[in-house]
Amino acid sequence: MTIKQISIQRYLPEQGSAPYWQEFDVPFDDSTSILDALNYVKEELDGSLSYRWSCRMAICGSCGVMVNNTPKLGCNSFLREYQGPVKIAPLAHFPVEKDLIIDMTLFLDHLAAVQPYLINDSGEGSDTFKQTPAQMEKYKQFSGCINCGLCYSACPQFGLNPEFLGPAALTLAHRYNLDSRDQGKKQRMPQMNREEGVWSCTFVGFCSEVCPKNVDPAAAVNQGKVESAKDMLIGIFKS
Amino acid sequence: MSNNTSDKMKRSDEPIWWGLFSAGGVCFAVFVPAAILFIALLIPAGIISTGAVSFERAQSMVFSLPGLIFIGVVICLPLFHAAHRIRHGLHDLKLGKERQNKIVTYGCAALISALALVGFVIGAL
Repeated sequence: MTIKQISIQRYLPEQGSAPYWQEFDVPFDDSTSILDALNYVKEELDGSLSYRWSCRMAICGSCGVMVNNTPKLGCNSFLREYQGPVKIAPLAHFPVEKDLIIDMTLFLDHLAAVQPYLINDSGEGSDTFKQTPAQMEKYKQFSGCINCGLCYSACPQFGLNPEFLGPAALTLAHRYNLDSRDQGKKQRMPQMNREEGVWSCTFVGFCSEVCPKNVDPAAAVNQGKVESAKDMLIGIFKS
Repeated sequence: MSNNTSDKMKRSDEPIWWGLFSAGGVCFAVFVPAAILFIALLIPAGIISTGAVSFERAQSMVFSLPGLIFIGVVICLPLFHAAHRIRHGLHDLKLGKERQNKIVTYGCAALISALALVGFVIGAL
């Protein structure tokens, strides 16, 4: 096993007001993930290190960190991918609670704001909703989100204005709007139509690059722009 | 939570600017290169004879309905496209205020477009 030096941004608000960098020597092989490295540090070198993790297989979405300034899931990025120094910091654009733990409250508020669940008061299909494979195909791409928040760390517009609903929330809104079982589009459109809805996006596209589940939020948000523009036009003709 | 308060749910006017930006983008990608190819490359290189754009011919082409469409497609819409990019670039660089930037950038695009239109009307009369 070879040794790699990793730097971790530490922040212990009870001991000091400023974050600082701390270096650790971690043994690694081809299978050592960033999360494995963090676990090694916590178990063997410094038990005071705090970070979130759970599933180790890119499903729970809780181990997001910045690795060399790029948002990554700790569990599916590996030390072998980095030739030079490895710097691990908390996800960008979020308030930091401690070490690598961020406060996701605003992110969760944004998710809740778009009502990301089936809205259907028709009474039909109260048992089970039926859907053809073609109907499912329309939204399937956008339904793989694990709420890890990497796209918010990647988004410069969310960094400039945290009121921006952001990639994941807008993608979920679009995902439910595209679902044949859903009737809630009318309730979601006012959120998407806002300045802080789809219109804060400038199609940088980095959200789609960092998404560990290949959800392609940039595509969803920009399809949302078309929907919002259509909604405005229809509104003009209706009034 | 930022939900359901009427002022926060205000509809953005961005679809208008985004629509002009999109239309201008298509023009920039398709028609502007064609115009540059013909006017700035093929004619000076002598591949197309200069007689094709003699003064009389060019004048009659520009001050006609197709000429008006040409002006809209090669000048006005690309102007709004560029204005949109500049406005969002200013926002990204945290320069100016959103409202002022909008007035200046789209104002310039509208002004130059209006000038082109005035030029067209004067020439066509």
